Amino acid sequence: MGMMDTPNMEYAIRAEQLVKVYGEGHTRVEALKGVDLDVWPGDLLAIMGPSGSGKTTLLTILGLVTEPSEGRLLLDGKDIYSGKQPNLARLRRETTGFIFQSPNLIPFLTAKENVLLPLSLVGISSRQAEARALDLLGYLGVAERADLHPSQLSGGEQQRVAIARALANNPKIILADEPTASLDTDRALSVMRLLRQVSRQRNTAVLVVTHDHRLISEVDRVIQIMDGRIVDSDASHAKV
Amino acid sequence: MNLAIKDVNYHRFKFFSSTIGVSLLIMVVVAIGGIIRGVILDSAMIIEKTGADLWVVQAYGAHPQGGTLGPFVEISRLPEQIYHAIAVMPGVAQASPLATAWEHVNVMPQPTRLMKFMYVNALLNTATMVKPGWMAMPKLQRFIVIGYEPGKIGGPPDIVAGRGIEASHYEVVADVKTGLHVGQQLRLGNFDYTVVGLTKNMVGFTADPVIYTTLLDAQNIIFQQDPNLLRSQLPRAVSGFTDLAVTQPRLVVPLANKAAASVESTLFINAIAVKLLPGFSAREVADRITHWQHLQVYTAAQAINLQLMGSNRLILFQLALFRDILVLIAGIVIGLIIYNFTLDKLHEIAVLKLLGAPGGIVYRMILEEALFMGVVGTLLGSTLELLIEPYFPRRVVATSGDIAQMLLAMSLVAVVASILAVRRAMNVDARSVLATG
Repeated sequence: MGMMDTPNMEYAIRAEQLVKVYGEGHTRVEALKGVDLDVWPGDLLAIMGPSGSGKTTLLTILGLVTEPSEGRLLLDGKDIYSGKQPNLARLRRETTGFIFQSPNLIPFLTAKENVLLPLSLVGISSRQAEARALDLLGYLGVAERADLHPSQLSGGEQQRVAIARALANNPKIILADEPTASLDTDRALSVMRLLRQVSRQRNTAVLVVTHDHRLISEVDRVIQIMDGRIVDSDASHAKV
Repeated sequence: MNLAIKDVNYHRFKFFSSTIGVSLLIMVVVAIGGIIRGVILDSAMIIEKTGADLWVVQAYGAHPQGGTLGPFVEISRLPEQIYHAIAVMPGVAQASPLATAWEHVNVMPQPTRLMKFMYVNALLNTATMVKPGWMAMPKLQRFIVIGYEPGKIGGPPDIVAGRGIEASHYEVVADVKTGLHVGQQLRLGNFDYTVVGLTKNMVGFTADPVIYTTLLDAQNIIFQQDPNLLRSQLPRAVSGFTDLAVTQPRLVVPLANKAAASVESTLFINAIAVKLLPGFSAREVADRITHWQHLQVYTAAQAINLQLMGSNRLILFQLALFRDILVLIAGIVIGLIIYNFTLDKLHEIAVLKLLGAPGGIVYRMILEEALFMGVVGTLLGSTLELLIEPYFPRRVVATSGDIAQMLLAMSLVAVVASILAVRRAMNVDARSVLATG
C-alpha cells in the first residue's frame, strides 16, 4: 500500500520546512534548507543523494535523534517540538524502528534477546515479548537461529534479526540506513523485498537511505536530496 | 532482561580474567592490612594475655624521665622481695614477680621448603644491599624467656600440647613457633631443661617466641653468672676487706663471703605484674606504688603503647604508608579497568540510545558489572589472602572487618568509576551508529 493509494489516510510522519544548521559563524553549515516530506503508513521510500547532501541529517531528524533548527515535525498529527520538551527516547522506542548498514546487534545478546530488547524497554510482559520475538524471527525466517549470538549468524541472518528488532514494537516508521550496503546484489534485493513485505503487510512506513540504484525498482517513491533540499520526489522511478 | 548478566556471561573470559587481576591486587592490600594487624597483635600479645592491670618496673629515682621502659623495651631490674610489699597494698589482688629477657638457644626450627624458598628469595632481593656474611642463616634461635611463679599471672595462657609447668625446676613451656616439641631437652644458661608443654601465639613485639619457666629457673638463666667469672671475681671481692685484717680480723672472712654471695645473687626480677581488685582505680594504685615504693608503674595500655609506638612505630608508619599507596593504586587500576570496560561498549551504548533505552538502563548495566567486579574481586582476593596467611613468616591477621572495609572501598570505587564512565559513554552520539553522509 503506497502513498498514491491512500490519499485520505493520516500520514505516519510529516516534515514541514525542516531546517538544520550546525555550528555558527565561519563554521556554520546548513545541512537542511527547508525540507517538506509526508510519509504514509505502508510507504516504502528511498532517500537518495550524494555524500553530504543531508540524507543522514534528514534521517536523524525523522528518527527523533536530532532536533531540527527550524520547521515542524508531526507524528500522529502532533507537532513534536511545540510545547514542552518531548521525551525523544520514549517516542523513539514507541514509534520508530532502526535498521543500520551493519546490523548493529548487541553482541552479548542472542538473536531472540536482541528482538526482545526493544520490547523490554517498553515494559511488555516477558511471556508476551518472547512470543512476539519468536513470531517476528519466524516471519523473517530466522526462528531456528533464535538462540545464537550475532557472531554465530551470517551477515544476511544478522540483517534479518536487525529487521525483526526494528519491527518489535510495531513502529509507525522504520528508518533504514544503507541496509544493503554490505550485501551482494541477491541479498540486497532480498532485504529490500523483505522491507517491502513489511511495509505492505504491516502497514509500516519504511524510509531507506541508500546510494544503491539497484534498489530503486523495489520502492514506492524516490526522494532525491541535494545540498539540503529535496530536488525530486518522484514515484515514477518506482514500482507502485 | 538483565543486560549486565548477559554481557558478563558473553565476555566471561575477559571479565573474569580482569576480576582475577583485581582480586590479586586486593589480596595484596588485605595482606598488608593483615601484616599491620599482626605487628599490633605481636606488640600487645604478652601484656594482654598476662591479664595484669599494672606493670611495675625499675624507676630512675630522681631522674626527670621517671623510670625505665621495662621489662620488654628497656632493661629493668628490681630486687625480688619488693613484690611482697606491693602485694599487700590496698587495691592489689595479686602481684606476680616476673623475670624476663631475650635469650637464645642452639636449636633452630627445621627449615621447611617454604622457609628455604623465603631465604633464597631474601638472598636474591638483598643481593645488592648486603656485604658477605651478613645474610648467613643463623644457627641460634632468639626467644623471650619469661619466668613466673606457677599459680600467679604471667604464665602461658593456653597449653596446646603437653602440660603446664608442675615442677619447681627444669621444665619449660615453649611457643610452637620455636619449633621445639614436647619432651625435647635444651640447654638454657647453665642447666638443661625439658619442654613439657607448648603454647601458641605467644610472641614478643619483635615476633620472637616465648619460652616460659618458673621464676627460679628464669632467674638462673638470666642472672646467674658464669662460674669461671665468679671464681675470678671472688679474690677481688675479698681483697676489698684486707684493710680490716689489722683492726677486725674476725670480720674479714664473713664479710668476704657476704660480698661473694652478693655477686652470685640471682634474686632479681624484671617486673611485677599487678592484678587489681574490682573497683580500684589503676591510676590511684599506680600513684601509691610510685610514691611509696619508688618504682615506675605502667597501665597495661601504656605498656603496650611503649612496645607499639615506642619500638614498632616506624615499621607501623611505613606499613601504613605502603598500604595507603597500595589502596590508591588498587583503586586507580580497578577504576580504570571499569572505565575502559565501559568505553569498550560505546557502540552498544549508542545502539541502545538509538533504540530509545533510558539512561537508567545503561547506568544500571555498567554499575551492576562494576559492582560485580568489585565485590567478586574483593571476596576472591580476601579468600586468597586468608589462604596464604599461614605461610607468612610473621603473624598476618586479616579480619572480617578489614574485608568489609575493603568491600566498601571497592564498591565506592566501582560506583565512582561507573558514574564517570557512563557520563562519558552517554555523551556518545547516537548518530554515530548511522553510516551515511
